[in-house]
Amino acid sequence: LSSQSSLSSSLNEIVLLELGNELGDYAAMLLAGFGADVIKLEPREGSPSRCVGPFAEGNAQRSIFFWRYNLNKKSAVVDTGHLSARPLLARMAAKADIVLLSGELETVEGQLELWRHLAEQNRSLIVCTITPFGLSGPYRALRSTDLTQMAMGGVMAVCGYDPDANLKYDTPPIAPAMWHAYHIAGEYAAIAITAAVNFRDLGGEGQFIDVSVHEAVNTCTEIAIPTYIYNGQVVLRQTARHAFPHVTQFRLSKSRDDVYMLASLSPFEREARAFAQLADQVGMEHVLNTPEYKQLEKEDSRAAYTYRNDLIEQLVARLPAQEAFEQAQALGLAWSPIRRPEDNLTDPHFNARHSFAQIHHPELGRDLLYPGTVASDGGQPHMNYTRRAPGLGEHTSQIIEWSGCTANEVEELRRLGVI
Amino acid sequence: MRQNENTRPWALAGVRIIDLTWLQVGPQATRILASFGAEVIRIEWRHPAAVDFLRYMAPFAPDHATPQGGRSQGAARSHGIRGNFDRGGYYNNTNPGKYGVTLNLNHPKGRDLLRRMVREANAMCENFSPGQMDKWKLGYDELRRLNPRLIYMQTTGVGKFGIYKNYVSYGPTAQAMSGLTFMSGLPEPYPPAGWGYSYLDHSPGYFGAMLMMAALHRQRQNGVGAYIDLSQTETGLMLTGTSLLEYQLTGQSTARYGNRMPYLDWSPHGAYRCRGEDNWIAISVQTDEQWRGLVQEIGSPPWALEERFADAAGRKANEDELDRQLTSCTVFLDRYELMMRLQARGIPAGVVQKAPDRFDHDPQLKARGYFVDLPQTEIGTWPVEGFPAKLSASPADAGGLTGRASPKLGEDNDYVYRQLFGLTADELSALKQEDVI
Repeated sequence: LSSQSSLSSSLNEIVLLELGNELGDYAAMLLAGFGADVIKLEPREGSPSRCVGPFAEGNAQRSIFFWRYNLNKKSAVVDTGHLSARPLLARMAAKADIVLLSGELETVEGQLELWRHLAEQNRSLIVCTITPFGLSGPYRALRSTDLTQMAMGGVMAVCGYDPDANLKYDTPPIAPAMWHAYHIAGEYAAIAITAAVNFRDLGGEGQFIDVSVHEAVNTCTEIAIPTYIYNGQVVLRQTARHAFPHVTQFRLSKSRDDVYMLASLSPFEREARAFAQLADQVGMEHVLNTPEYKQLEKEDSRAAYTYRNDLIEQLVARLPAQEAFEQAQALGLAWSPIRRPEDNLTDPHFNARHSFAQIHHPELGRDLLYPGTVASDGGQPHMNYTRRAPGLGEHTSQIIEWSGCTANEVEELRRLGVI
Repeated sequence: MRQNENTRPWALAGVRIIDLTWLQVGPQATRILASFGAEVIRIEWRHPAAVDFLRYMAPFAPDHATPQGGRSQGAARSHGIRGNFDRGGYYNNTNPGKYGVTLNLNHPKGRDLLRRMVREANAMCENFSPGQMDKWKLGYDELRRLNPRLIYMQTTGVGKFGIYKNYVSYGPTAQAMSGLTFMSGLPEPYPPAGWGYSYLDHSPGYFGAMLMMAALHRQRQNGVGAYIDLSQTETGLMLTGTSLLEYQLTGQSTARYGNRMPYLDWSPHGAYRCRGEDNWIAISVQTDEQWRGLVQEIGSPPWALEERFADAAGRKANEDELDRQLTSCTVFLDRYELMMRLQARGIPAGVVQKAPDRFDHDPQLKARGYFVDLPQTEIGTWPVEGFPAKLSASPADAGGLTGRASPKLGEDNDYVYRQLFGLTADELSALKQEDVI
């Protein structure tokens, strides 16, 4: 397969101006992974996401959060709200392909008027906004955080721990992982923008894109909505398994080395056979292949299921997690240890696939590994990250020069405090 | 049959995609591509062992649902109709806007027909188990000889190469491996809560659409195809970056925080029980001013006025007690009333909405037209979930070119094979007789 196949430079003629906060960081970084030239226009105090922890070495100037979501980008400090900034922004808008605005409604609306005006001068400009609820609708001005978005979008209602025998919950719904509402919205924003780039290929016309975090989160609850729409039922959240209209059987096991293992069997006969073979391999006694067990499956499938689950638990307890993983997978069973994220850093599978990008941090004098791609062309990653997140204003001079400002204009902008 | 072809401007006008995907992870990508106007031809086979699991997975449309009716006839539980693969509600929500054909790839003539279709396509997507397409001699190396411009996207659990290349995975497997399952839940000794749905059946679909459109953009510019080996697990790794960096810098193992915010001084920050059965509200207090507003809204109880809760540091240090006390107040309150009262004071608060709340109540989703009614030929008109962004010039439309929800199994055989690929009626009839289509 030729290296030309990699898509990591597929957007390399695209220039994206990014203004905003953590709602937009991820979307712009995804596009930077495909080669887009992403320029963050930041206020003098920096983008809000520079203040989000954790911080490297306890240094509040070194946000790990900011580092993660701003790879490959450039940073220019520009007071975009300053009236005298308009000619500079007009020059930038004339050269840019995409403007991404993110944040609370009032902030984005405050910026949008200007960019609408500038888009009239550059008809191929794509202007995308990411706001908590979108630019229209009765909730558009509600205050939100990632947590409240996960709540309103329906994800929390399907994530958490089992109810008791009376289907009452003594634990709260859970927002899985952190910043996930913004992950979902970021992925959708990147999709919408690439769609708009494709549309522009057809006739050269840009457009406005209004991304709603609320709607993005709503797309991610699988059977919850269809189950209600078609059957009038509400799904129940359950420990480490899908929300479902009734409680399904618990399926977390612990390995010999005390790692939780996701190990279960689907209803398919081939999996039952594979599991019997695995049990034989580790020397466990079982009756899975006997006529008595087949009869039990026919007469009392729940009892048969419980028997199999007990066996799974016993089997996993006999093996270290990685061994259970490898042996089960060798037989076609989709089992996995519940790994901590860092367990993958040294996994040779991901190293072979270049799943992590090695990024140099001069301020630390060392390299760090970042998740760097989701796909490969068979040899090279389809997304390519090579540069750490920019320091505040690190590229201001370069960006001003790119905009085409004359030396006198630059001097004037400095005098006025615009840059 | 191309009901919507000329009714609006489509971002992916003129793009044809051969869709061999199934379950959720593959069809999610082609669902998005169809909503931007790609001609997505969903290929399935009717043998019971080959039919998409989602076609016979609950929820099913109620037994009383008719082609002329649908949701307007009311919701009701159903176990489906034996032997009928066209009544699945989840399948319907996952596959709108696509054409549906049957094709037997175990038959040599079936494989020949697929090759013929690939010659005239921009792209092909599949998410079979690793190696299946190669067994049929339909892998990328074979197909690109027929069509050098082809974009071939293959989605697997851990990727097509690497030491786990033959490993099998569902969304939950990939989530467990990626670290996402571990990260979700209350702090130890609670076990991981994991995810109540497979985000890694969704996210590879999102990335699949993104990758495909990046590849189509390049194909339009210079005619180059692409091979895309998309890994479910890697889409999960992408979301673990902050934890990975923290580990590398501090050696500190990843921990779970429940609903709390360990990285900013936001407190209270969690889900609090409200009046009614399993009713909750999420509240995120970001400033001391918001805290004082919250205290007033819950009636300024004596505990809330204690000095230890007056500032963010104090609230963080006493978060367990804070959460207990706050719940003792919210448990008597109506969740939506409380949400709107807090919002009026500028405090981020949101009801933990369940499906009925979102579908029946949420005025924002209604106003934005998030749910889209689409007809399906067997079960009538039902809502499907829409695209979460509004594009002014080339809007997404879940109904795509077909203007329809999901296809019945083989519903578009005549249209696709005869009108799009030029087979004659006699050829089609012969292929039917030979169990090829």
